[in-house]
Amino acid sequence: MNALYLRRRIVNALAMLLSTLATLVGLTFLAWILWETLRQGIGALDLKLFTRITAYGEDGGLLNSMVGSVIINFIGIGIATPIGVLAGTWLAEYADHTRLGEMIRFLNDILLSAPSIVLGLFVYTIIVLPSTALTHGSTTFSGFAGGVALALIALPVIVRTTDEMLRLVPSTLREAALSLGVPQWKLTLQILIRAARSGIVTGVLLALARISGETAPLLFTAFGNNYTVFNPMDKMSSLPQIIYQYANDPGDAMHALAWAGAFVLTMFVLLLSLASRLLLSRTKVTHD
Amino acid sequence: MTDSARPVHATSTVTAPLSQPKITARDVHFYYAGFQALKGISMDIPERQVTAIIGPSGCGKSTLLRIFNRIYAIYPKLEARGEVLLDGENILDPHYSLNRLRSKVGMVFQKPVPFPMTIFENIAYGIRHHEKLSRADMASRVEQALRSAALWNEVKDKLKQNALGLSGGQQQRLCIARAIALRPEVLLLDEPTSALDPIATSRIEQLVEELKSQFTIVIVTHNMQQAARVSDRTAFMYLGELIEFDRTEKIFTKPGKQQTEDYITGRFG
Repeated sequence: MNALYLRRRIVNALAMLLSTLATLVGLTFLAWILWETLRQGIGALDLKLFTRITAYGEDGGLLNSMVGSVIINFIGIGIATPIGVLAGTWLAEYADHTRLGEMIRFLNDILLSAPSIVLGLFVYTIIVLPSTALTHGSTTFSGFAGGVALALIALPVIVRTTDEMLRLVPSTLREAALSLGVPQWKLTLQILIRAARSGIVTGVLLALARISGETAPLLFTAFGNNYTVFNPMDKMSSLPQIIYQYANDPGDAMHALAWAGAFVLTMFVLLLSLASRLLLSRTKVTHD
Repeated sequence: MTDSARPVHATSTVTAPLSQPKITARDVHFYYAGFQALKGISMDIPERQVTAIIGPSGCGKSTLLRIFNRIYAIYPKLEARGEVLLDGENILDPHYSLNRLRSKVGMVFQKPVPFPMTIFENIAYGIRHHEKLSRADMASRVEQALRSAALWNEVKDKLKQNALGLSGGQQQRLCIARAIALRPEVLLLDEPTSALDPIATSRIEQLVEELKSQFTIVIVTHNMQQAARVSDRTAFMYLGELIEFDRTEKIFTKPGKQQTEDYITGRFG
């Protein structure tokens, strides 16, 4: 074995070792987090968690928070998805290589990294305060306001993924459709969106995973509620908010509930990520 | 059994004399954001024959082809000057409807690009845009197109399956079927076999031979043997200029220009 070959083998082994170690460090923390939430929350992980509301305190569960989370996330993703997909489509198909398009892409990136508490305060001033004034205090904080705050967080994620997924569609597909005389709007709606569909849906799922863990923007908007409510104009509880509240409580039983909530939330996000992964790999579209 | 849907009006013969040209280019210049890619191309493309355009990379052969259905116009900063007459009408005239042009001039690209839908829908999609057909009529139109593209026997039992599941060669024949389903008069083929293996390539070449009695075909190719095999006339282009355009036999046996001879004998390119 010559010296060059030996040296390459050593360098290779070293690089392999380092990258494996780095992966292990990342995975260790992930497993640790899952393990801790499970260990600390196992005492409260029972049927009660899913059937009783927080009004019962230590003897209660998190039903109202879970219902609230579902409603608020649904509102958030329901607002952000149509706007985000349309805006992303506009960026990729109509405004590519234009100054306006570049500018909006840049602004979208800024929104993407905006601190979520700022968005919460923004929604507080544009929705919570006016609705308080208009209804003389009968509607103040609301699940709807929380949904809007989450929509602002999900929106740039969806715009970005839609834009990128559409730009990945080969330009020859566009040429092929246009050469049949098909107009641009039909091409976009019936062919390009379809070609990029799984990527766009993945973006929406990832945005949902992202907003389902947001706490700060909900504190000023949905506020919290010890009872199960379905009216989006009511104050509403949510999992992240109740975790935050219970973690600050001195009682051990409350801590266990918070951990159990954290475990449920983490599993939900994990499942969403896995679902989006599965979707991407199963409906992979290649043109090569 | 073989594909039975043979061209309906198979009359013209292989090397018919150039009577009425289908497409006439007159002093065509083309610019990519200021860079001149075509320098005064003039040529007559005969009806229902195969015209091959050959030349080294960057000579402008694809550019010329992409003018014939104005597909270049979807990108900004591209400009064509001069006249391209299709049946005597200038298609570069902004008043010439793109919809009309593209229903008359079909195009097949280098890489097969089926739409992300079923095999049936791939063919029906374009037809539906131009004509309203009943279910039965549509089914027979699709079958006819697939038969003409020599693909029917391979796909007749899986018309409802996604077209992306077909092999590369089948996908390319599907794209040809998609183009001829609109019953165009001209078929533009932009290096249609460069992404295919030799067997798939020879099937496409055979298909070109069969289709020329129905369509005027213009094929751009890197492969000189292919041009020699499939075309009636061959145009040799170099650096944006049309060097020589003549009967294929003549181009490949006794070319008139030194540059043509150098290219076809492999001395450059």
